[in-house]
Amino acid sequence: MRIRFINFTAIFIFVFLGLGLFNLGVIQGRRFKDLSNKNCIRLIPQMGTRGKIFDRNNNIIVDNSLSYDVMIMSGDEVRINKELDNVSDILGIDQKDLKDTYKTNFIAPFAPIAIAKNINIKKAITLEESKSDLELSGIIIQPQPQRRYPYARLACHLLGYLNEIDHWRLTKLADYGYEKKDIVGFGGIEEKYDYYLRQEQGGLSLEVDHRGRPMRLLGFKPPKSGEDIQLTLDLKLQRIVEDNMGSRKGSVIIMDPNSGEIMAMASSPNFNPSAFINKDADYIAGLLRNSDAPLINRSISSAYPAGSIFKLIVATAALDTGKINLSTSFYCPGSIHIGGQEFSCWDTHNQQNLKGAITHSCNVFFYRTGLLLGAQLIHDYALKFGLSKPAGIDLPYESGGFIPQPLWKRIYKFQNWYEGDTVNFAIGQGYLLVTPLQMVRMIAVFANNGSLVTPYIVKAIDGRDISIYQKKTARIPIKESTIGYIREALRNVVSDPNGTANILSSLPISIAGKTGTAQVSRGQPHGWFIGFFPFKNPKFAICVFIEHGGSGYFSCVLTKQIIEAMIKEGLI
Amino acid sequence: MRNHYLEILLIGILIASIGILSIYSSTYQKETKPWQIIYKRQLLWVIFGIMLFPVFYNFNYRRLWDITYFLYALAIFLLCLVYILGIVRLGAQRWLKIVWFNFQPAELVKLIIIIFLARYFSLKSVDDISVKAVKFGISRGLILPFIFVSIPMGLIIEQPDLGSAIIIFFIFITMLYISGVKLKYIVIFLLIFVLSLPVFWQILRDYQKERILVFLNPNIDPLGAGYTVIQSKIAIGSGGLFGKGWLSGTQSQLRFLPESHTDFVFASFAEEWGLVGSMVLVFLYYLLIRQGIKIALKTQDHFGRLLALGISLMLCVQVFINIAMNLGLAPVVGLPLPLMSYGGSSVLITFISLGILANIGKTRTVF
Repeated sequence: MRIRFINFTAIFIFVFLGLGLFNLGVIQGRRFKDLSNKNCIRLIPQMGTRGKIFDRNNNIIVDNSLSYDVMIMSGDEVRINKELDNVSDILGIDQKDLKDTYKTNFIAPFAPIAIAKNINIKKAITLEESKSDLELSGIIIQPQPQRRYPYARLACHLLGYLNEIDHWRLTKLADYGYEKKDIVGFGGIEEKYDYYLRQEQGGLSLEVDHRGRPMRLLGFKPPKSGEDIQLTLDLKLQRIVEDNMGSRKGSVIIMDPNSGEIMAMASSPNFNPSAFINKDADYIAGLLRNSDAPLINRSISSAYPAGSIFKLIVATAALDTGKINLSTSFYCPGSIHIGGQEFSCWDTHNQQNLKGAITHSCNVFFYRTGLLLGAQLIHDYALKFGLSKPAGIDLPYESGGFIPQPLWKRIYKFQNWYEGDTVNFAIGQGYLLVTPLQMVRMIAVFANNGSLVTPYIVKAIDGRDISIYQKKTARIPIKESTIGYIREALRNVVSDPNGTANILSSLPISIAGKTGTAQVSRGQPHGWFIGFFPFKNPKFAICVFIEHGGSGYFSCVLTKQIIEAMIKEGLI
Repeated sequence: MRNHYLEILLIGILIASIGILSIYSSTYQKETKPWQIIYKRQLLWVIFGIMLFPVFYNFNYRRLWDITYFLYALAIFLLCLVYILGIVRLGAQRWLKIVWFNFQPAELVKLIIIIFLARYFSLKSVDDISVKAVKFGISRGLILPFIFVSIPMGLIIEQPDLGSAIIIFFIFITMLYISGVKLKYIVIFLLIFVLSLPVFWQILRDYQKERILVFLNPNIDPLGAGYTVIQSKIAIGSGGLFGKGWLSGTQSQLRFLPESHTDFVFASFAEEWGLVGSMVLVFLYYLLIRQGIKIALKTQDHFGRLLALGISLMLCVQVFINIAMNLGLAPVVGLPLPLMSYGGSSVLITFISLGILANIGKTRTVF
């Protein structure tokens, strides 16, 4: 009787064990399989290098240098503590700090943990050599390519900087395989062409033992380097421009007026992009606090009143529509009264025809012309020159500027458009806002006899010439004779002894252009100069903008300095 | 008439071979020299055990009756010897060094206690052919044997070797049960035992307390005492249906699983051979134990029957507790899996026990 009970018990015991085995192996099998892999598989990322950036003559503007990170394999705590102790002597970092970094950087048991970043090569070699003596089998020294800016601040706005991806960009880019903690471009080429520049992370998957010591290589995915980008930028020219700008706030753009290739583009104040690589928190905070906004690319992202350079559009419109002809002249007594308000000229020009008015930048002439045209026509012609919308350069965060029209004022401001508004509009003041890039594009129309180019900066990606996709020039629907006439007038601005840009006539090269002094509600007026040279066969269109520069004259001075340096360097 | 000799020996050799394969695999890849010889040693023990099997098969078990008291005295002597000059290993003093072999007397003591209890409960009265035990009062049926058992048990707990002590305790209870002692007494005894558990708790070493707490919830200490259980479950679970293949178990080969060749050899076997393999192994153990129970059922001799049952139950309880603790269903108490785990004492004693079992199966026809 009792023996039979024992027999049943024995059977029951074995059935119980069988069920237990079934539970672990089959019902929970997948979970345990997963845990077992996590136990013994470690992934060591290997970084490819981000694409380099070259100028139009294949000079390096941005490349990468190698820095060394120290990583430790996760695993047995005793081993880790021992290894951290040993490493701390070599690195000269306190053990406690190392342990803290280890804890904060810990992501998952299968990923090695970075305990020291960017150590110098001497320490890296010492560490590698003492690996076997000190039993540091869990320590990995990982070469980490790091962005290097050999010219420091040069062209920083145009290039952009690198930083850890933020939430906003991550939501936008997650579909393209971007992940948290990725380093991506912020602003400039780095952001716009991040997809091409971006390296692909490769890595090793290693089998480790219970102490986290590597035992066997399971797989290797080679890292992929990003594609190199060649710009249309001329490094020499860029340096000339930035050196001459000095501490002046503003923007200088030099563009090929026929193709739209940007050859130099500078914005000031600027910043040092390597601060973001070195995580120089104080410096970065300073940049963000600075009321001069050094991170903003003034050439494309800020819009300003155009001032007198806008007169070119008014003149074109008036001539093209036949509202005035070449012999039409107005009398400039120094100021006029419109709608009970006095609008002044900067001088008394007496009788002025179109050519003279452009040469001397006579306000009264353009007040009258503006009134003849009406605000709507000026607006329409401004749009023909590509204003009020981004010029379409291949850089992010381009501003479109703004061109007002009577209807807009009625809808958004609940006010009528007065003649006074038209008058202000005609000399580039009032609600009107333009970017330096739009202005260089506008002057290029006169340089190339009537084509509106699309500015671009990337010439080739990884050796593939993409300029054919970039070059988008459109014939502007304006009579060629109109353009031709104004072109002549622009030359006069420089060559006429009383021309506003006469200071440039001393240069051994024939320049045409227009100055502008844009009044602002607070502070000194902005100074503009837009022009092109050589006059006969223009190779360069230039826009020099000095924020609160006082007047267009100072922009002319800067232009002169730049062109002189260009001649000296043999660039023309 | 069937001969149990061949069946028992074949199953025994089969399980022992699986054990050697598992030990080879779990010590494989371990770079240092001493590891490499482990499976060879085990092979030696198994061969030695297989040689001892026919010796005990041909040794009439009735003669064990005659030397019971001598054996009991030997058990006490060996345990005292361990207490005095045993080797301390892993924080416990369980081994006696005999020339080049570390002997673990607790393994032998288990068998001796079975023999002792079998004899004690198979005493017959002169006027009655039935076993006396049925009529035993509380003192002779419970207290006296308990005193006999508690002396070696106390010495084993002192070593400390909780696993062996628990096995002896189980043997004691089951021997009481199968010998026909009144159920009332057993129930009383168990009640007293349960009530005195808090007192035992005080006696337990810290690491033993910890193990029991960890058994109740392994996650309270995943890197300490709970580590083994978690790794063992991962090993068994990750084996899946067909296992990772021989020499390919990551848990044991990369040493995530501690004691992978001794107490947790089952987990390293299950990792590499999967559910199918471990079911086959468990079934082999069942067949072995069923042989023992069959022999016990057919034996007319009371001493022989109790002895056969005792041996079968000892195997059964050891297999159960060991596999259950591998599965995380029992606390980790440091107990070998008979015939599988590395360890000479265990292998030899198990083969001797099986030899005695086979002998009982043969001898019953004599009567």
